[in-house]
Amino acid sequence: MSDIGSVAVLLSFFVTVYGLLASSAAAKTGGEALARSARNAVLSVSFLLAVAVCCLLYELVTLDFSIKYVALNTSTDLAVIYRVTALWAGQSGSLLLWSFILSLYASFAVVRSGKRGGDPYVTAVLCAVAAFFLFLISYVEKPFEPLGAAESEGRGLNPILQNGYMAIHPLTLYVGYVGITVPFAFGIGALLGGELGGRWIRNSRKYALFSWMFLSAGLLLGARWAYLELGWGGYWAWDPVENAAFMPWLTATAFLHSVMIQERKEMLKKWNLVLLIITFFLSIFGTFITRTGIVSSVHSFARSDIGPPFVVFMAFVLVFSFALLAWRSKDLESREGFESALSRESAFLFNNLLFLAAAFAVFLGTIFPILSEALTGKKILVGPPYFNAVGVPIGLVLILLMGVGPLVSWGKATPRNLRKSFLFPALVAAAVLAALIVSGMRDVVAVVTFSICGFVASTVFLEYFKGIRVRSARGENPVSAFFSLVSRNRRRYGGYIVHLGVVLLVVGITASSVFVTQREVVLDKGDSFSLGGYELVFRGVRRFSNDAKDGVSAELSVLRNGKSVSTMYPEKNIYKYEGNREINQETEVALRSTFRDDLYLILSEVGDGGKVNVRAFLNPMVNWIWAGGLVIVFGAAVTMWPGGRRKRGFADG
Amino acid sequence: MRANPGFVAAVAVIVCLVSWLVFAGVRDSMVYYITVDELFSQTPEIYGDKVRVSGTVVSGSITNEIDDSLRFTMAAGGGTLDVEYDGVIPDIFADGVEAVVEGELSADNVFRADLLLAKCPTKYESEDSLYERKKG
Repeated sequence: MSDIGSVAVLLSFFVTVYGLLASSAAAKTGGEALARSARNAVLSVSFLLAVAVCCLLYELVTLDFSIKYVALNTSTDLAVIYRVTALWAGQSGSLLLWSFILSLYASFAVVRSGKRGGDPYVTAVLCAVAAFFLFLISYVEKPFEPLGAAESEGRGLNPILQNGYMAIHPLTLYVGYVGITVPFAFGIGALLGGELGGRWIRNSRKYALFSWMFLSAGLLLGARWAYLELGWGGYWAWDPVENAAFMPWLTATAFLHSVMIQERKEMLKKWNLVLLIITFFLSIFGTFITRTGIVSSVHSFARSDIGPPFVVFMAFVLVFSFALLAWRSKDLESREGFESALSRESAFLFNNLLFLAAAFAVFLGTIFPILSEALTGKKILVGPPYFNAVGVPIGLVLILLMGVGPLVSWGKATPRNLRKSFLFPALVAAAVLAALIVSGMRDVVAVVTFSICGFVASTVFLEYFKGIRVRSARGENPVSAFFSLVSRNRRRYGGYIVHLGVVLLVVGITASSVFVTQREVVLDKGDSFSLGGYELVFRGVRRFSNDAKDGVSAELSVLRNGKSVSTMYPEKNIYKYEGNREINQETEVALRSTFRDDLYLILSEVGDGGKVNVRAFLNPMVNWIWAGGLVIVFGAAVTMWPGGRRKRGFADG
Repeated sequence: MRANPGFVAAVAVIVCLVSWLVFAGVRDSMVYYITVDELFSQTPEIYGDKVRVSGTVVSGSITNEIDDSLRFTMAAGGGTLDVEYDGVIPDIFADGVEAVVEGELSADNVFRADLLLAKCPTKYESEDSLYERKKG
């Protein structure tokens, strides 16, 4: 199987290079046969890579330890599901998966663009990107590389990677990361071919939204994994790998908004291309950070020598794309200018500037150690305080804009229509503010954030209410009016659902970071302690053993107002298996999660005589974050759902 | 594109504010990242400064009594550093791993850390000696 796999990988590299050459030639000569041939090359690459992925999966599941990748990432005691997920636990497997996902996107894109092979320039860009990754797995990090001598046992998968969220979150993120390549290819293809009308941006919008949805989901799944598995009580630490996925998300969000201006007003054409190039660059940069471990990170589990080719590729992407943009610059002038600083389009532009500023600030913070070492010879870090100090103000203004945007009209807003549309949301915000202050909340950031969230949520409800009222005035009943409203304007009302999800998310993040309480206690059997409104009683230690591990857990009864609500068992596990020796201990937190708060217990230490050291966190409203994530994904799905009313001129060209 | 003066002013304000945020953020939160020997080459000036220090955990140096702080010794470049830490201990923290601590060195030459990270030094995939540790 491994021979088939490595041949498939190598072939896919050559076929991709052929696709690149054929599509470039087709672009130059306009030859339809060549364009078709390039299209077929793309399709066959995804077939070849599917074969390679299946081969690697087969080797992983059957534990063929003669292959280095298998020996490194699995062991005989590993459950089958984690043998499968080991596909993306290591370097070359991840890169193979990256390439496979890219080939699927590319195939989808070329198939959708028609029998004639679509725009050969787009195909060429897709092939060029794929060729880079396929080069890596063909020559630098080979997934099917044999191990000198066959081993009887593998090294095993790091126990903290053996978690359901870990199994899906890298995959989700990859689908997001890789998907950015398609809109990038449309943009660069348009620049190369000189067809700079509205077509490329209409074609790329859905791919961008699709990737954005997966990036959002992947980020949140990753946060949830960190929360459950890394056991420090938090879900986000501004770790380089987290930032790596967050940066393309920020610029992709900016792009999704500014696209609307280009579609409506034929403005910001250059800006949109800049955003796409940056987003694509950041997605490659993110892969680079994650896969090379150049910046040390809690999420990074592998290092290797793919750094130099990555740096060359990233430099090439930047120089080539921006040079191309400069060359076409004259053809990208807008016909219209901004009428007023008080308009929907300028709200979008401010949104864009802030998203880009945030991405820049995160980028700077992430590479600060590398930068400072290069410039001054000293390694200087900026930690979470930096990211919070920069991120919170920018984030607050962005959220405010999220509420303001839908209220101001396109073109030029008049004071009168502003007063009219702002009245209700402003009242809601004021009511939230007053209620919080009266109830005794004194934290400025929290009070301001919650008030702004009230403002935004009420604008969303107002928009829905207005739409439904217009329809019910025509005799529709409100429920069916709601559904027809959404289904006929999926983009707009789906977008509002996403905004509502963001509000939930922001409320959860604010509450859980501002109002967290924690205690560290040493307990004898029968001791109790209180945290927030909870009382916890330590009932004793339990020890257990199975084939894979020896475990010890502390039993704690949880009481609220004197009534028992739950029993929790924070655990500490020692893995028996030798291969995991360097990381043989695993702390498993106990979590009781409600929409009000999360009770989060860590068993830090078990002493002689049954004494335990327990660290307890009370994290308010963390569930709102995950709920917000679900709403965001749902909203994005509504926005993308095919069908519905096509607006004039919006049909695919 | 015609430039609207109000608009240009608003953009300028945003750029200035963000630059200031970044500048102030870096100024207030920057931490030098040094190794154990570098730390001791900078005493006594460095006492009380917040720094991040990396080194290898000396085998056998870890003590973690149930109602006391975690204590261990880190070594790098010939220097050793005694560390005291209260907080969540990463699972991979153990003898011989590369540890990173953030905190300050007090005049008694004990480093009081408020952050502890540990890196697993052996999982270099490209290393050929994959199995040597286990066998040896």
